[in-house]
Amino acid sequence: MAGELIRMEHIHKFYGRVHALDDVNFVVREREIVGLLGDNGAGKSTLIKVLSGAVPISSGAIYVHGRKVDIRRTSDAIAQGIETIYQDSALVPQLSIARNLFLGREPLRAPHFLNRMDQAAMDEVARRLLRQVGITKDIPPSIPVSALSGGERQAVAIARAMYFDSELIILDEPTNNLGVAETQGVLRFVRAARDSGHSCIFIAHNIHHVFQVVDRIVVMRHGKIVADDIDPRHTTIEAVEQVITGMSDAELGTAAP
Amino acid sequence: MNQGSLLQRLIARPEAGPFVLLLVEIIVFGSLNPDFLSPENIGNTLAFTVELGLIALAMTLLMTSGEFDLSVGSVFGFAPVLMWTLFNGGIVPLNVAFVAALAMAAVIGLVNGWFVTRLKITSFLVTLGMLLVVRGTALFITQGFPQRTWSAGGHALTSILVGEFRVGRMRLYMSLFWFIAAALALGYVLTGTKVGNWIQASGGNAGAARARGVNVDRTKVSLFVLSAVMSAFAGIISSIRTSAANPNSGTGYELEVIAMVVIGGTALTGGRGTVIGTVLGIFILRAMRNGIILVGVPGLAYNIFIGAIILGMMALHASLERRHHAGT
Ligand SMILES: Nc1ncnc2c1ncn2[C@@H]1O[C@H](COP(=O)(O)OP(=O)(O)O)[C@@H](O)[C@H]1O
Ligand SMILES: [Mg+2]
Repeated sequence: MAGELIRMEHIHKFYGRVHALDDVNFVVREREIVGLLGDNGAGKSTLIKVLSGAVPISSGAIYVHGRKVDIRRTSDAIAQGIETIYQDSALVPQLSIARNLFLGREPLRAPHFLNRMDQAAMDEVARRLLRQVGITKDIPPSIPVSALSGGERQAVAIARAMYFDSELIILDEPTNNLGVAETQGVLRFVRAARDSGHSCIFIAHNIHHVFQVVDRIVVMRHGKIVADDIDPRHTTIEAVEQVITGMSDAELGTAAP
Repeated sequence: MNQGSLLQRLIARPEAGPFVLLLVEIIVFGSLNPDFLSPENIGNTLAFTVELGLIALAMTLLMTSGEFDLSVGSVFGFAPVLMWTLFNGGIVPLNVAFVAALAMAAVIGLVNGWFVTRLKITSFLVTLGMLLVVRGTALFITQGFPQRTWSAGGHALTSILVGEFRVGRMRLYMSLFWFIAAALALGYVLTGTKVGNWIQASGGNAGAARARGVNVDRTKVSLFVLSAVMSAFAGIISSIRTSAANPNSGTGYELEVIAMVVIGGTALTGGRGTVIGTVLGIFILRAMRNGIILVGVPGLAYNIFIGAIILGMMALHASLERRHHAGT
């Protein structure tokens, strides 16, 4: 069994009176894709926002590789190797693919006081990464991200997370508003990320997408985790749907106390 | 790369429209009145063009970062008033007064930047307020009267800043070289450097830039400082050249400068900017003002043409932008 990457313990999150996360315990292991399922309002987005530094926790603790960490801002999470990929919002549309990949970590050419970016090196890495995440179309790294489709943008964001060795890549509903081919593309990038040693949290409305790609399913309901060890290879979509809606008593892979 | 696609790529650049417009202006005005292209006219037109141009270059970077500065005209008027008041009063030597005026401008820029980034007030309101404060201060300390400047004759500083020289029958000023140097330096910064990448990212998607560790606030504050210091520099150059430091000078320049920048293809909303475009925009507007008068159109009609140019160029840039997004 692979080691533990992320451990979240007794997490509570209140939005005013709304108890969005109610004593959540959640673990992500190394090299694993976790599918996070639950009805609208179950608290999935809140859980990953807490982990990615987008919102502060009300109480609880977060550990990375067993070490307690303090995540207050998005940049804190990125520094811990946790990268969240929202549709669009993580990229600068006007900048080229290569410059987006290296934003904030631009390689410089000597002499450094001229502050000149090493464009050739950035383009070279970008080209290689695009192939690695399975973009077969010949997209030059110099074109602006605004010219890419939604799926391609997510591929760029995933490529960036992989290159800078994010250990955990979080995708919140990455397949919404995508066509069939693009969805398959995103699922392929997720697998590619896992195969090169990264872990993923994958949230999607469409359970079929989740079943195609994840190693383990975690289900949330009303701010609580109600099942945290469902193996998609040993269950059916119908059974998981029942856990999500709360119609099943004999819950699969019930959360350990 | 074959010829056809190279040509297509040139046409698709945001600077292509402004470039063609400038050519058309030069051809039309030049053929209607040969004086338009005379060395005397070019020299005379350039003198003031580069002074406004210095401000427009700084404004290009500021606007690319998603902000703009309405206080540039007031700083253009205030900085020379401060410099000459300090010098004429026998308080400090001219060089020190010059540095003090630039430092004062830097403080004005810092305050602008601080209000915008820390207090999250839009740059429109902050710099509009600053315009009134700075202009009011210039009027107050001079009681509305112009300052004497002629006592500076023969000073090394004045010849370095705006020394006069001739190329044939063309009378030029050293300020032309300051403009060229600023255009090259800022063009390089915006397109080739890490700082330039941060400027574009700050204007394009500040949240994404922050998440990658880009210091968006510091980037913007630095550009407010640059904008104010360049305006002060331009104002001082202008006051030495015209031998006048009028507390009212620079009134209305902010809009002319912003027009130059957007005509060149820099986005008012930030994220995308071009120094080459701004240089073209500077010459488009100044050639228009000069040409209209030379061909006998009443000077009062100038704004009609400027407005039409701005609208036409905005339509062009918007359509290029849409094609860009469509990935064609
Ligand atoms: N910013 C917010 N302010 C107040 N309530 C919120 C906010 N964000 C989410 N909530 C509430 O928290 C609960 C969980 O929401 P969310 O995490 O978005 O669920 P999911 O992603 O599973 O659909 C919901 O009841 C939602 O209304
Ligand atoms: Mg959600």
